[in-house]
Amino acid sequence: MHRYRFILFRPLQFIPVLFGISIITFVLVRLIPGDPARILLGTRATPTAIAKIRAQYGLDDPMWMQYLYFLKNLAAGEMGKSTLYKIDVLRLIATRIEPTLALVVMGVVLALLIAVPFAALSARRQGGLADHGVRLVSTAGIGFPSFWLGAMLILLFSIRLDWLPVSGYGETPVDKLQHLILPGLTIALSLSAVLTRSLRAGMIAGLSSDVATAARARGMPENTVFWRHVVPNALVPTVNLLAVNIGWLIGGTVVVESVFAVPGLGQLMVRGIFSRDYMVVQGVALTFAVATVLINFAADIITVALDPRIKL
Amino acid sequence: MTAPALSRRAPRWRAFLRRRTMLVAGLAILASFVLLALLAPWVAPSDPIFQDTTAKLLPPSLAHPMGTDNFGRDVLARVIWGARIDLQIAVIGVVFPFLIGTGVGTVAGFFGGWVDALFMRIIDVVLAFPFLVLMLSIITILGPGLGSFYIAMALVGWVSYARLIRAQILVLKTQDFAVAAQSLGFSRARIMFRHLLPNALAGSLVFVMSDAVLVLLNGAAISYLGLGVQPPLAEWGVMVAEAQGFITQAWWITLFPGLAIVTLAFGFSLTGDALADLLGVHE
Amino acid sequence: MSAQLEIRGLSVVYRDAGEERELLQDISLDLQRGEILGLVGESGSGKSLLCRTVIGLMPSRSLTMTAGTVTLDGVAIHDTDMAGLRGRRIGMIFQNPTSHLDPVMTIGKQIAEGLRHHKRLSAVAAKAEAIGLLRQVGFPDPGRAYGSYAHEFSGGMRQRAMIAVALACDPEILIADEPTTALDVTIQAQILRLLIELRDRRGLSIILITHDLGVVAQSCDRIAVMRAGRIVEEGEKRALLADPRHPYTRQLIDSHPTMTHAGDEPAPHPHDRKPIFEIDDLRVHFPAGGGFLTPKREFQALKGVSLRVWPGETVGIVGESGSGKSTLARAILGLTRITSGQVSFEGHVLTRDPKATLKHLHHGAAMVFQDPFNALNPRLTIGETLAEVLRTQGETPAAEIETRIGELLDMVGLERSYATRRPRSMSGGQCQRAGIARALAVNPRVIIADECVAALDVTIQAQIVALFRDLIARTGLTLIFIAHDLAIVRTLCERVVVMHHGAIVEEGPSARIFARPEQAYTAALIAAVPDIDPDRPLNGGQTTLQQESAT
Repeated sequence: MHRYRFILFRPLQFIPVLFGISIITFVLVRLIPGDPARILLGTRATPTAIAKIRAQYGLDDPMWMQYLYFLKNLAAGEMGKSTLYKIDVLRLIATRIEPTLALVVMGVVLALLIAVPFAALSARRQGGLADHGVRLVSTAGIGFPSFWLGAMLILLFSIRLDWLPVSGYGETPVDKLQHLILPGLTIALSLSAVLTRSLRAGMIAGLSSDVATAARARGMPENTVFWRHVVPNALVPTVNLLAVNIGWLIGGTVVVESVFAVPGLGQLMVRGIFSRDYMVVQGVALTFAVATVLINFAADIITVALDPRIKL
Repeated sequence: MTAPALSRRAPRWRAFLRRRTMLVAGLAILASFVLLALLAPWVAPSDPIFQDTTAKLLPPSLAHPMGTDNFGRDVLARVIWGARIDLQIAVIGVVFPFLIGTGVGTVAGFFGGWVDALFMRIIDVVLAFPFLVLMLSIITILGPGLGSFYIAMALVGWVSYARLIRAQILVLKTQDFAVAAQSLGFSRARIMFRHLLPNALAGSLVFVMSDAVLVLLNGAAISYLGLGVQPPLAEWGVMVAEAQGFITQAWWITLFPGLAIVTLAFGFSLTGDALADLLGVHE
Repeated sequence: MSAQLEIRGLSVVYRDAGEERELLQDISLDLQRGEILGLVGESGSGKSLLCRTVIGLMPSRSLTMTAGTVTLDGVAIHDTDMAGLRGRRIGMIFQNPTSHLDPVMTIGKQIAEGLRHHKRLSAVAAKAEAIGLLRQVGFPDPGRAYGSYAHEFSGGMRQRAMIAVALACDPEILIADEPTTALDVTIQAQILRLLIELRDRRGLSIILITHDLGVVAQSCDRIAVMRAGRIVEEGEKRALLADPRHPYTRQLIDSHPTMTHAGDEPAPHPHDRKPIFEIDDLRVHFPAGGGFLTPKREFQALKGVSLRVWPGETVGIVGESGSGKSTLARAILGLTRITSGQVSFEGHVLTRDPKATLKHLHHGAAMVFQDPFNALNPRLTIGETLAEVLRTQGETPAAEIETRIGELLDMVGLERSYATRRPRSMSGGQCQRAGIARALAVNPRVIIADECVAALDVTIQAQIVALFRDLIARTGLTLIFIAHDLAIVRTLCERVVVMHHGAIVEEGPSARIFARPEQAYTAALIAAVPDIDPDRPLNGGQTTLQQESAT
């Protein structure tokens, strides 16, 4: 399967991007006005600690040396210490990945479960009442702010109906899942608006495409034409759209985690910003960027699997 | 194919009208927000930061159509004054990225070579960061506030315009009319500004509208997180944030500013869709 | 004997928002068992729509069949039974196999799909049957083709795959909608021969829709000519071609490029002056993939081409797609990077002194393009486009630009009012005339026309060719005319250059090349051109069903 050979080589192409990411995150913290040692350690640091950090990060050396130290530390899994939580940033991040990952996966799965049927309904009855409804809702849905949508869902499902917890994160898997339903839905609803529009457009184009005409001309029933020829062809651009929107989606988790007090990476970042815990902000930004690169890589693999024409 | 060629020549009145209703509706929404923002001092029922301690958390009524908040401020007045800030966010947050991105994209697409390669690598790196995460990181350095938001927008937002314009220019460059212009000895500047750029801009005009939605949502979200517009200024994201503690008692403080965002965003989306139809652009 | 398929009084109306137009008017047509009926007409004549209507696949919801009946073997068919008939009794193939084959489903599955649906075959039986079909339509390794995707094959093989899909359930009637228009001429000959063979072997009846009377003359038994939604004439092939009744049929036959008219054959030009173009061992290579970690590959578009073009000459450059003829045009105008070799224009060497030569080229040479819509900036009016050229050339005083635009439009036979129109509101032929006017605005000594009539209807083609002939006679212009259509080149050009795979195969005076080609490739190319004379049979390409197998 030489079409999949890129899986071996593509990671090499990440190297320049990863370098770029490391430069930006490095520069971000160095641009903060003030003494870098105090920025890294917080305002109440002891002189011995400051001396130690100066040596470790080479803060008296030229900037490019400092960057090399930064890379060296990074390679050793050393991302500094959180001034707020007093533990290694890497360990802190490790404990916060799970809820964020669960949110993203849940958001994508729910969004697809919502978008595919609605797009199909809309495209197959183009110009009908259902189509107008779906178009209206999906066009408006793009403009729903997630922080507000989340609040409205809390109002409806947690306060009025009392079905689901208002906020936080549970201990047991079932408990966790219950806590994640509303935040997951918030993300999914925003995302599904975008997906529905793209899928609908793809399906409508597909229904009047030459491929569909040819399938009808050989007597295939309309259902077969739709699900076996139109949908698979419409899915390829949708996967690309999902990949393009993954950055937007991860940004969304930052807001949604704040709304629902989910102890994930996003909430960690926002707290870090407010408490001037710069090492944490840097670490989370780095983690998110690397995750985005990896997710795009996964999207490439899926696209190649879905469309035999694509060679990477 | 024979038949589509025939039907293409037919005037499509119904489709045209449908497009126009979309355009009219979209522009009407945008225009009314602009009017509200301009006329806020005269239209708003009261001062947006005036605190009436005798009228806290009142539900919607004739006196306060959208109720009052926990400080006794009139929600309608705050929503109307909020239009000033949120419209400003959407406009300024789009204009600078658009200008920078169009410039970079045109240069990169037209000249190619190492200029193009350099910009594309920068764009790759910027796009590797989730948009909001990079924005928040920059705001961390600059400190919270609307000014920081605009600077961060200009630093991050241009990449999508640059990519879009560059892709358009690359396609247009190979079109026969561009080759013709080249074979006729037109200057580079003439080919770029008279033949390529006007044709490339149609696509980004549509993108401007959908980008305005994203910028508006981001601006409001960053303000919601407390890193953008600062209270007591009336901004819709800030209002939702302030209302969250009272959601069990007073749903109206959360509902109305959110609806304002949704409506304004809808106006941009409708206009964008209508423009896409009219200009024959497909996203 | 009654006809297998009878169409009686069929009318189709286009309705949209109060607007109503009749696209097909009162059409009656018979298809006899085992015959090939050619349905001929130009774009917009309604020939494709007629066939779509017959199988109940209208291309738009705004179209309705308002009158008429269609009977199959004496039984009237209605919309309701259509789905059962399609594929089962009537199969259809299309112009563009690339867009009509599902890109994400294997070719084999697309054949098997019909077999499983209509004939209720098991997966295994359907696969066996599909492989048999692929062998029948000429796939050398049908087992492998079964599991392959459309993009892995050439255009000709894709069309064969589509024929296999259409024939899967053994239909009695095959509707072929411009099945060879997108193919090279030698491949076209192969596909037409395949259709005729399938008819003979399976007793298939075929409706062949085409714009090319030559294709009809070579492959059909009967011809129906359509124009503006009506059948203007119908009859046995030879009788109709020999003695057309309707003036439009006569015009179509006259416009056909293989028709030679007295005085058409251009006399060879004396080569007494210095050549206008001197091309020596010209090579153009394009990078083709590769790069990071994989070896760099190159595509050799031109592999050492040498050519002289003399002033006042009309040279035709012919070749199939990928032969390098367009690259040659662009390279000698300095629009493509030259890898090696030498090009000189009126003594200026492009490869040695590019700046001066380019300046000279801009004032002495102009190009006309294939796609008339794409060749004009959609945002400028024709007048603006022409004025821009005149101003850049700097030879026309500003005050006279208006008059000059008028003159240019006169020269190409466009009304002066077209100066204010944009390409979108014009037809293909009109846009092409505007494109020629733009080339003439340079006041060039040489025009390079790259496939400039390929996208046009035959009658319009004939007009544009006549326009060129007229311009050459009046202005002594040198013309380099690039085309895949040998028949047009034969009537227009005094000298022909045949290209294949980036090299010149043969060149010489048209009369000699067409009468006595020296190279086998040239001979095959000429023989593959469907002549409007049915008694000059189709000969090009290789016979394809040698790997015949019993089915």
